[in-house]
Amino acid sequence: MNNGGGENVRDNNSSSSNNNSNNNQDGVIRKKGQGSGGGSGSGSDDYGRAITKIAVAQICESVGFQCFQHSALEVLSEVAVRYLRDLGKTAHFYANVAGRSDCNVFDIVQGLEDLVSSQGFSGASDVNHSISSSVVKDRKPTPSFLQIGEVPDKEHIPAWLPAFPDPHTYVHTPVWKERKTDPRADKIAQARQRRKEEQSLFNLQRRLACNGSSAFASANTVDDGKAKQVVQSNPFLAPPLQSGEKEVSPVVPPAKLSKEPLVNSRNSVLDAFAPAIGTANTGLSDSKDDDRMVLPNKRPILNFQLGVSKKSLGLPVDLTLQNKLLGETTQLIGRGDEKDDKKRRAEQILKESMENSRELS
Amino acid sequence: MNQQQQQSIEGKQQQQQDDDSALSDFLASLMDYTPTIPDELVEHYVAKSGFQCPDVRLIRLVAVATQKFIAEVATDALQHCKARQTAVVKDKRDKQQKDKRLTLTMEDLSKALQEDLGDSLATVKTLKECVGRMFGVNMKHQEYFADSPSTGVDPVREE
Repeated sequence: MNNGGGENVRDNNSSSSNNNSNNNQDGVIRKKGQGSGGGSGSGSDDYGRAITKIAVAQICESVGFQCFQHSALEVLSEVAVRYLRDLGKTAHFYANVAGRSDCNVFDIVQGLEDLVSSQGFSGASDVNHSISSSVVKDRKPTPSFLQIGEVPDKEHIPAWLPAFPDPHTYVHTPVWKERKTDPRADKIAQARQRRKEEQSLFNLQRRLACNGSSAFASANTVDDGKAKQVVQSNPFLAPPLQSGEKEVSPVVPPAKLSKEPLVNSRNSVLDAFAPAIGTANTGLSDSKDDDRMVLPNKRPILNFQLGVSKKSLGLPVDLTLQNKLLGETTQLIGRGDEKDDKKRRAEQILKESMENSRELS
Repeated sequence: MNQQQQQSIEGKQQQQQDDDSALSDFLASLMDYTPTIPDELVEHYVAKSGFQCPDVRLIRLVAVATQKFIAEVATDALQHCKARQTAVVKDKRDKQQKDKRLTLTMEDLSKALQEDLGDSLATVKTLKECVGRMFGVNMKHQEYFADSPSTGVDPVREE
């Protein structure tokens, strides 16, 4: 190789000036007006080129080559010179971009990154980031419209350009909390609520029916054998009954007085709700206490206040139910204008109850 | 959020400090190693491009980078050469078994440069086109050159 160095110099001088070649593989390297100051031929840079060839030859030797072809060595040295000059030019360019005339290490790093563009040192061009900590990786360019299979929106965008990012990456849409809805559970809850509504409504009606008008009597469900008569007319619209016109079931005295069940005669509103009553009772008896709602069995006890009424018309009806063993006790605060009618009825009822108790006792 | 940002910023700063220290250590270690390409040569060529720096370490950094580049190309060419030798040996065993001399040939070099210079040159077949395209060097290869009637019968290889 030492001899080769000397021969190289001679060969370089000879081959660069004329077309002499020793074998078919030699070629003529012609510079395109490069670096030689625009001079004729290649004269001015011979010395530098020669030294470059020696250096490149030494590098090849260190790699493992034992001999080389002249032309190959020349090409390689040319490549080395080009590389050096490109690196210097790029570093100088970056220094100018940063507003400096002198280069520093980061300019060189950026220049290196430019020249080795296919295998990138990611983040090496960051001023605050060193190239030594980067990882060599292959950069994948953004796929073009054609590669994705999309058509650009606007006409002026050719399809071979990189595609736009997905809109979800830059559009912020509001997010709502998703409530898990179970339709089956919803239906079940809805049905349960409806049943509760019906039940409460029915209870209200029942209380009204028992406590409101005396035109109907309670059915005796304790006996379980008696059928209930169906109402044919609205008892509320019927003319008031005269005393003795209609048999009214006796009032169950308070628990302390008597514990006998009553005979039922007629029941209007309760008959209309008979199926519901039956189901309600069974349902209630299942879930609640047995002695709480035995409503239609016994006739509620009406306690009237006889005397001068000082109550206004807008008094609410107090429908408190008290649990008794056999019946219920309700208190009704009557209105002043209905007092005469109720008074008559109450007297009649009391009379009958007293008669019953006398009979039984 | 602020804490996270601060932590990320601190992590980055720490990393930057590590990087800076690594870089400075590397530059310091450059002084121990003398690159194959002389410093004056590198200075001469980079000065032609406008790169001006009084710091020797940067010059050495450039020299090391260039050396690495050339070594890569040479290594690839060497592998091509070795691959060709092993293929040749299988065919002819009567003659010299192995050409013990690993020679840098134009063919291997062209392939190595073609690989090294990226996918954009995948369609380029020969070194001439490759060098001509990348570096602006127009290297013409004469299809045939005969200075005597017997030229080309036995291809002669130079050393």
